[in-house]
Amino acid sequence: MDFDYNSLMAFIIFGVTIGVVYGIVALGISLIYSGLDIVHFAHGEMYMFGAFFGLVLANNVGLPYPVALIGAMILTAILGMFVERVFYRRLTSAGGGYTVAGMGMIICGFGMSVALVNVAYFIWGAEAEPFRANLDYIPRLQFAGDIEVPESYVLTAVISVVLMAALHYFLRHTKMGLAVRAVAHNKDIAYLMGINVPLMISLIFGLSCALAAAAGVLIGPMQSVQVEMGYLMLMKAFAAAVVGGFGSLPGAILGGIMVGIFENLGAAYISPSHKDIYAFLLLILVLMFRPSGLFGIEAKVKA
Amino acid sequence: MNVFVLIIEKIVAFGETLARKHRLLPWVLAYIALLPLPYILASLFSEYLINLANRACLFILLAVGLNIVKGFCGQVTVGHIGLYAIGAVTSAILALEPGSFGDTWGFGLSVWVAIPIAVLVTALAGVIVGLPSVRLEGAYLALATLGLGESVRIMIAVTPQLGSSTGLMMIPPPTIGSFVFESFTSYYYLVMTTAVIGIYFSFSILRSATGRAFQAIREDTIAASVNGINVVKYKLLAFVLSAVYAGLAGALFAHMPPGYLHHNNFTIIEMVTLLLMVVLGGIGNVWGGVIGAIVVTIAYDQTKDLVFYFMDRPIIIQPIVFGLSMVLLVLFMPRGIGGWIEGFQRNRRFIKQSEERLDGTA
Amino acid sequence: MNIMKSTFASLLVGGVALASTAAFAGDIRVGITMRMVSENGQKYGQMMMDEIKAINDSGGINGNMIKATLMNDECKSDKGVANANKLIFQEKVHMLIGSTCSSVSLPIVDVTAKAGVAQLIPHSTNAKITQKGSEWVFRVPVSGRYYGGVNAKYVGDNIGKKIAYICAADAASVNDCAAMQGQIKKQFGAEPAYIANVQEKEVDFRSHMQKIKSMNVDGIMVAALAETMARALMQSYEAGIGADVRRIGSSSASNAPVPRIAGDAVKGVFFTAAYAAADQRPIAKLFNAMVKEKYGIHAPDHDFSQAYDLVRIMEQALKSTDLGLDSASLKADRTAIRDAIAGVKNYEGLASGPISFCAAPTPQCRDGNRTAVLIGYTKGGENFETEVLARVTMPIEFGLE
Repeated sequence: MDFDYNSLMAFIIFGVTIGVVYGIVALGISLIYSGLDIVHFAHGEMYMFGAFFGLVLANNVGLPYPVALIGAMILTAILGMFVERVFYRRLTSAGGGYTVAGMGMIICGFGMSVALVNVAYFIWGAEAEPFRANLDYIPRLQFAGDIEVPESYVLTAVISVVLMAALHYFLRHTKMGLAVRAVAHNKDIAYLMGINVPLMISLIFGLSCALAAAAGVLIGPMQSVQVEMGYLMLMKAFAAAVVGGFGSLPGAILGGIMVGIFENLGAAYISPSHKDIYAFLLLILVLMFRPSGLFGIEAKVKA
Repeated sequence: MNVFVLIIEKIVAFGETLARKHRLLPWVLAYIALLPLPYILASLFSEYLINLANRACLFILLAVGLNIVKGFCGQVTVGHIGLYAIGAVTSAILALEPGSFGDTWGFGLSVWVAIPIAVLVTALAGVIVGLPSVRLEGAYLALATLGLGESVRIMIAVTPQLGSSTGLMMIPPPTIGSFVFESFTSYYYLVMTTAVIGIYFSFSILRSATGRAFQAIREDTIAASVNGINVVKYKLLAFVLSAVYAGLAGALFAHMPPGYLHHNNFTIIEMVTLLLMVVLGGIGNVWGGVIGAIVVTIAYDQTKDLVFYFMDRPIIIQPIVFGLSMVLLVLFMPRGIGGWIEGFQRNRRFIKQSEERLDGTA
Repeated sequence: MNIMKSTFASLLVGGVALASTAAFAGDIRVGITMRMVSENGQKYGQMMMDEIKAINDSGGINGNMIKATLMNDECKSDKGVANANKLIFQEKVHMLIGSTCSSVSLPIVDVTAKAGVAQLIPHSTNAKITQKGSEWVFRVPVSGRYYGGVNAKYVGDNIGKKIAYICAADAASVNDCAAMQGQIKKQFGAEPAYIANVQEKEVDFRSHMQKIKSMNVDGIMVAALAETMARALMQSYEAGIGADVRRIGSSSASNAPVPRIAGDAVKGVFFTAAYAAADQRPIAKLFNAMVKEKYGIHAPDHDFSQAYDLVRIMEQALKSTDLGLDSASLKADRTAIRDAIAGVKNYEGLASGPISFCAAPTPQCRDGNRTAVLIGYTKGGENFETEVLARVTMPIEFGLE
């Protein structure tokens, strides 16, 4: 195990490239949390559905990749809003917390996750599907020496930045974004102010599902698409959201990058077979010692 | 429906009259009533149902245990299956001969020694799983326990000494002298006895000062600590008690013929199934946990291979139904079967009291 | 309220259904437990049922119909054991087929041995399955212990001895990796250059590829389930490891998702299996055509061929015995079927070599097929193509020391 900086750089770059994807999913989770005060345990399935929608649009319908990306985001947003409206509405309007509704949302999320996975099994089968994307117009980067960064990773990094910027712009500089923030801050007052709170709730949900879908479509060409891909991504995204701080949007992306680097370094220098445990370890450590994460606003901690 | 409930009420009333004579009397009677079950099942249906009953008993132990930490004490834990895994694997390794198949560890201890040690180890693990609960609540605690539970499974999956991907096999069943507990029926007596004792102890906990402390913490943690309850101690105690149940269930599972353990016996799906049992039965209701465990085990077994054909493609509907029923239960029946029964009882009591008042007898 | 009602009702119906599955005289009952939710799993399960139905349609076995029950075990040992118990004790099957996952077959061997029911294995390669001393288990596929030897010899002779290993954590891959490493060491005295034990569904191999790249190995063995293997192959090229470093696959390289997902990255990858779609024998070509037409499979892998051969072997064995087929003769029938299968010698079907069983409960007797085919991919993608590189019959004692 000789220590060479070249390899270390490589591992860090790998960590960053996969970490931004964790970050995008974590963005969605954080958004739902800050807006609706609930942790959505079925979010991994939204990621998976997004990937499949993108696959169908790109490979079967034949749309170019960027169009498929946007299409998948829209379709998954609709799916998410449907699920929220039909199933979660009773709980999301009651708010989170430690009431039966709070614990109920966690259980509900698990149940929804199982149901969604099996619906996907029925539609697409259990096989892993290749995601062919024509990315020739994107440059392949080469870092110091012979670290190659393939096109799909470059695209992911770029799109993540774009999405973050778009989300930031939406929340800070548009009227609807303002309404979303108001609802996130205090539902009752927002309602009194004349904001259509149920619509905002659906919108928040749809936005986060769209983000998860984007992550899925971005990962697709790198890793192929399979019905079971959601669960592991969910864990990593949770770790990212916790590390960055629930409710903080830049924190989500930074948390994702940290998780990505941490697990790659762990796999490279400690033991590759325990790779997934590193993310959990990070999650638990942060929860125990700094539950508000890096930038978190508040954390439900008891003295 | 009314007839059904009336029968249950009669049984409960009978149980209460017996209980007035001696606390344990209804339990002993119930135990005796359950003794001939294997023979009834085998002659009415088939031996397979005894195996099903055994599995149901294991889940009863798990559900009742989970109810202690989740229902009595209100701590959201989603890592319970990890404790089950620890109990199972520890007991298996203690009882296996070293190097029996590949690299696996082994100590060759008697099963009757292995099981208690495994339970102890699981109890210790329960302390570790419970530590996050000292500082966290709600979804944060759920995440932490989920991470811990999954980490346990992954550790088992990648460590050859713990079985890794081939699993642990030929785990010896318990023996007394020359009698080996290797048939469905003999194992039934083992697990059924444990389950009955487990249910009894759960009630004891519920009605004791400890149980009241748990419930106080569930209702309002700050008020509880203001009233002098050592919140940290009782939270950890709740986790340890539920870990004891899980460890016992795990160890019994490990030694149940054919004595094989694999890491994918302990995945999130199993955790979700366990959650379903607890939610269906009603969080916090002991009998609810028992009913939930039995109903889900039977329903799962009967519907497992139901296939509908939709446009020429087979759908295995069961997992979808399971997932959706969890969602619907939480939405429309959050207090579960136990809560429903309690509500029914309350109504009947109210009606009875009102009638007495009207008759002038109250 | 409704949930209560419906649960009660379903319990009632279930109870009635249970009571009515009493043993029916005159039918040969076969239980099948396998992983249905997988690439192709549901299809070759369906194929087995279709073949059995075809046997029934053309007169059955000496006039008796085969009643087959297909159950899904999701590749989980507890479900597989539950299925086996249900089939043996409730359905009272005369013989059992299962399972397709090694981790499920392993405990079922104990169940069938204790209950006295013949178990035909369609597709599990873990060597330990036949090493437990069970008189009742018969393995149709090629045991993992043979594959390692064939692969290693070809690698050592044609590629080199400095090999890096990527071993996923599922039962079959662990076995394949260990077998290969052991064989390379034994035949050529060379230690592995690099071993990476990754998780079953690992998605990111870049750190490993980076390390391997700097080591100048002769070949990389990737032992993993289909989609994981495809990913590793793709990422090995993405990391810049040239095509002169040959990639070696484990037996799951024969599954269709590998070339479909890996695309060009699969060119030159070779592996050992028990059947090659590129097989030129007329029987193979007929089979390929049938599978393509009926199940939409482009080029069947040995999962399909072994399932097919299994049904034929079962048919042959059943036809050669005289069964009482009433509730009194259950035990005798089960034993007779076991003995009949043990009597199968030199069955020639789709498999790479002849399949023979004998009565002793040893791996020598119970691993029926000891011929492995070395197959290489010449083209990847949806319409992938393969070629047969070699066909080797191993000595019967191989891998047993």
